[in-house]
Amino acid sequence: MLPFWLILPTVAVLFTIQVYPALYTVWLSLQTREPQGWRFVGMDNFRRLSGMGVFGESIGHTIVFLVGYVSLTLVIGFFIALLLNRKLRFSGLYVTLLFIPWIIADIIVGIVFRLLVMPDYGLLSGILQNPALFPPNGLSVLTAVPPASWVGNFPFPPAPAMVYLIMAASWRALPFITLLLLAAMQTVPTEVVESSRIDGANGWQIVRRIMIPLMLPTLVVAIFSLTLSGMNGVGMVFSLTGGGPGSSTEVLSYMLYTLGWRQLEFGRAAALALLIAAVNWILIFATLRVTRVEERNN
Amino acid sequence: MKRLWTLMSMVLLMSLVLSACATPVAAPPAPAGETAGGEASASAGEVKDFTTWYQYDENNEDPASDERVGNQYLRDTIPAFNEAFAGKWNWVNQPKAWDRMAAELVAAVQAGGDVPDLFEMGSGQVTQFYRNGTMQDVKEWASAQPWFADLDPSAIAACTGPDGGLYCVPVAERPHLVYVWKDRFPEGFPTTPDEMLAEGERLKGEDLYAMTFFGSTDFDGEGATRGVWMTISSFGGTYDDGAGNMLLNTPENVAAVEFLRTMVQSGYVPEIAFAGGFQEENAFKDASAGAFPTGLFGYRYVNPLTAPNGNEYTKGNEEDMLDAITAGDVILSTFVAPEGQTPGCEVAVAGFGIPVGATNPEAAFDYINWIMSPEQNVTWVLTAGGGYPALLTTREMDAFQTPFYQQAGKVLSASACRPWAGSMERPQEAQPLIMDAVYKLIKEDPTADIATTLQAAQDEYNAGN
Amino acid sequence: MPSVSRKRWNSWLVNGALILICLIALLPVATTVLISFKGERDIIRKPPNFFPCDTPTRAFDPTACRWAIEGYQRVLALKPADDGLLPFALTGNIVRVYIPNSLLYATTTALLVVFLAGMSGYAFSRYRFRGRNLLLVGILAITGVPLLTNLLALYQMGVVLRKAQLPFYDDRMFLVSVYMGFFLPLSVWIAKGFFDAIPRELEEAALIDGCSPFGSLLRISMPLALPGLMAVFLLTFVNVWNEFIAGYLLVAKNEFKPAMFGIYEFLGQNIINLQVVAAACILIALPIVVIFVFARRSFFSAMIEGAVKG
Repeated sequence: MLPFWLILPTVAVLFTIQVYPALYTVWLSLQTREPQGWRFVGMDNFRRLSGMGVFGESIGHTIVFLVGYVSLTLVIGFFIALLLNRKLRFSGLYVTLLFIPWIIADIIVGIVFRLLVMPDYGLLSGILQNPALFPPNGLSVLTAVPPASWVGNFPFPPAPAMVYLIMAASWRALPFITLLLLAAMQTVPTEVVESSRIDGANGWQIVRRIMIPLMLPTLVVAIFSLTLSGMNGVGMVFSLTGGGPGSSTEVLSYMLYTLGWRQLEFGRAAALALLIAAVNWILIFATLRVTRVEERNN
Repeated sequence: MKRLWTLMSMVLLMSLVLSACATPVAAPPAPAGETAGGEASASAGEVKDFTTWYQYDENNEDPASDERVGNQYLRDTIPAFNEAFAGKWNWVNQPKAWDRMAAELVAAVQAGGDVPDLFEMGSGQVTQFYRNGTMQDVKEWASAQPWFADLDPSAIAACTGPDGGLYCVPVAERPHLVYVWKDRFPEGFPTTPDEMLAEGERLKGEDLYAMTFFGSTDFDGEGATRGVWMTISSFGGTYDDGAGNMLLNTPENVAAVEFLRTMVQSGYVPEIAFAGGFQEENAFKDASAGAFPTGLFGYRYVNPLTAPNGNEYTKGNEEDMLDAITAGDVILSTFVAPEGQTPGCEVAVAGFGIPVGATNPEAAFDYINWIMSPEQNVTWVLTAGGGYPALLTTREMDAFQTPFYQQAGKVLSASACRPWAGSMERPQEAQPLIMDAVYKLIKEDPTADIATTLQAAQDEYNAGN
Repeated sequence: MPSVSRKRWNSWLVNGALILICLIALLPVATTVLISFKGERDIIRKPPNFFPCDTPTRAFDPTACRWAIEGYQRVLALKPADDGLLPFALTGNIVRVYIPNSLLYATTTALLVVFLAGMSGYAFSRYRFRGRNLLLVGILAITGVPLLTNLLALYQMGVVLRKAQLPFYDDRMFLVSVYMGFFLPLSVWIAKGFFDAIPRELEEAALIDGCSPFGSLLRISMPLALPGLMAVFLLTFVNVWNEFIAGYLLVAKNEFKPAMFGIYEFLGQNIINLQVVAAACILIALPIVVIFVFARRSFFSAMIEGAVKG
């Protein structure tokens, strides 16, 4: 009986704070608000959600954001981890300094990056808005419109604000990913690396043929956890771009916030939340599968 | 390990110390209320709390805060009210963020949470509050009050909900108009769109801009109620069909959007107009933009000012704009309108609502009656409310005979102002839809077909009817 | 010895690259510090100047720098005070209300989470019972529900609780339980991972020596798991401190609002006063950064544990 009593408090808290509200969200997604109270509307919220122009746009923006955010963070994180993966006198210092961005709240990171590119007054704006460097009119990150899209309405190439948002988000996520990859890298046996070096493999070949295959499970975990955080983080969009200019950085999580808590369309917001939750669950279970398979292999 | 423990005990200690020092100071309203109540209760029984939600914070004494005027108003008026109603009411204000307080109130009423006795609101929120059952209908009470007959009928109309109930008590009318740097338009501010475009070209040659306006989609499409609406309504357009549907795709609206698009794409509007966060004001502050369509009450936020002739108004408070108007550097004007059209604008009414579930509505009634007394009325309209008094007799008072109000009066009598939402019942949903569409057309995609894009936004809104 | 010199050259290169990366990583932080020490005059300049040190004749003159602390002055709102220990009082809402609130929420939540996650993590690690795997996966799946809409139900729950007028209840308790619910799932997994790493033999030895199962948990496993639980504490502390949206939407009373809300208030009231916003950001982020620098190892272990398992 001991394990039961040990777990009970946790389960009780989680049920009240997480499970019950989630069930309430399901109920809410089938309701609409009228002056007299809630009214059951069936799948109407989902239908109206899919009819919203901004919904389609947000999906496109979310995809662009995620691809940019995940790949940028992963590549730079891998590179930094490679640099750190050796005996260095100051590696403790480097890791500490590199880690500071991760500890800062996303909402503050958003504000800090916004201060840098405030039109006219931001310190970076002084450089970016210079027409000599960025012809013809200089680049104002927070107001520049996105270039004409290459394929239909898909928001690619992204607006400068989206690129900047990706950079800010990566800046904050990098330390975490670097550490994760470094930990995995340190499990790669040095003998294997050394012997292939003796066999004449160059640095890139070692990375590609030995490190990446051996680190594959961790890489997958890193990709999933980045996708999850990118999918659900709202603080940075909130404080950095507010979805703008226009709707060019409006991602699904931010749309959920505006729909629910600004426009008070709780029914439709609940419907959107369920769609996001479905994606999250797929990612979470995929991560579990990968780690399980790895555990079994060990 | 040892270091960790030291750290943890440090954190604990720090939080204990801080929360210990914080408790007595952190909740100043409570102890203050207790002492005030304690003294009064000795003489006159029970003093009840009168709770309000204002976008102002009496505890914010920052002289450079954007809301310093309203903050100061509360600081001055709360003691005065408590004195006037000593032994009866004790005014407790909860400051709320201006762009979030309406949503918070709707959620609070829906959940049966803590709601204030009085809510500072704009007439633009009436339909939203009506639809969510947020506000009490105060028609019966208000129409029995002596000041009711003195109210401007259009202000009463703005506070009236779709069912004929009165969902706010109007105190100030906040019409929109155009602030103009006189020297930027030596020939006078243009009256037609074509003249405006010509002036834009001339000013562009001097590295200046004809106009700045709220062009971003920030604050859930707030821009749709400002410069964009002034343009649309001046072209004879509307956002609705008068029967609760959105109606955007009309020849007038297309012409108005076409005009804005030309202004923006030709470079007659500065980039900062699209930066959001009210940064468009900056282009007017340094006179790089010649004109700025915005609310009458906007004067208090737009400072310090530098005039084209080098005059500087640097008090850094609401007096700068008034000084510039008195000196003749800034003039007020109607917006441009095509031949045969009357310039339009937004008119919103600021006033008070009493939420459903308010604990002491009688306190709110006392407060409103108090605000309707001549002296308090002038103070409120000049500071907290901004704009014109809704009470017609107050308009006659000296405080409203300054150059600023005289000019504004002339401008407004030459305009046809009306609330932007018209008959639409979900303005908070319409606003971002309209602004997103207009923004795309005038700024993001100058080749997109105007009628098609407007029609799409209109269809999306009407799908929810 | 070409290989030695090549090695040394390599090490210089790596160190150089890492120093450069560190500098780039800290650049946004450094510029925020820089902005926070500027005066309004230097903030609203077009084009902006990196250092407020220019004179009409020279672009950079270190003796002419106009460093200012008005940003901090406006955040702290120092006022002379007659009573109290210090000759002045900090009247700014951020230091007077929001930061103490955040400290309270973060400490309380973290302690409770450590307690609950420690118990259940131990149970999951040491016992095989029916539904164990299902519960573990379920706890993880919970994190997939977006918090934003859950907040509506939680908001209503808070209202009901407030109306019930339970003895000792206040809104702060509710917020702490919400934060607990938010950050428990991951903490349970992390705690389980730490317990997994402790050899069972030690506990079995204790049992043989006559300890009760609970006694062995208390005397043997807990002390060994302390570094892990410390990590859970710190991670939760930081998470609560940095949490914005729940504090922003659930707390109605201003005197209960946490620090991240304070930042939002400053954004709303200081649209172009970048120095004030920067100063507020720094004051709010500083405590967390200090804690991190002192206890980084603990953070790293918790993060790796949390990421690989969850």
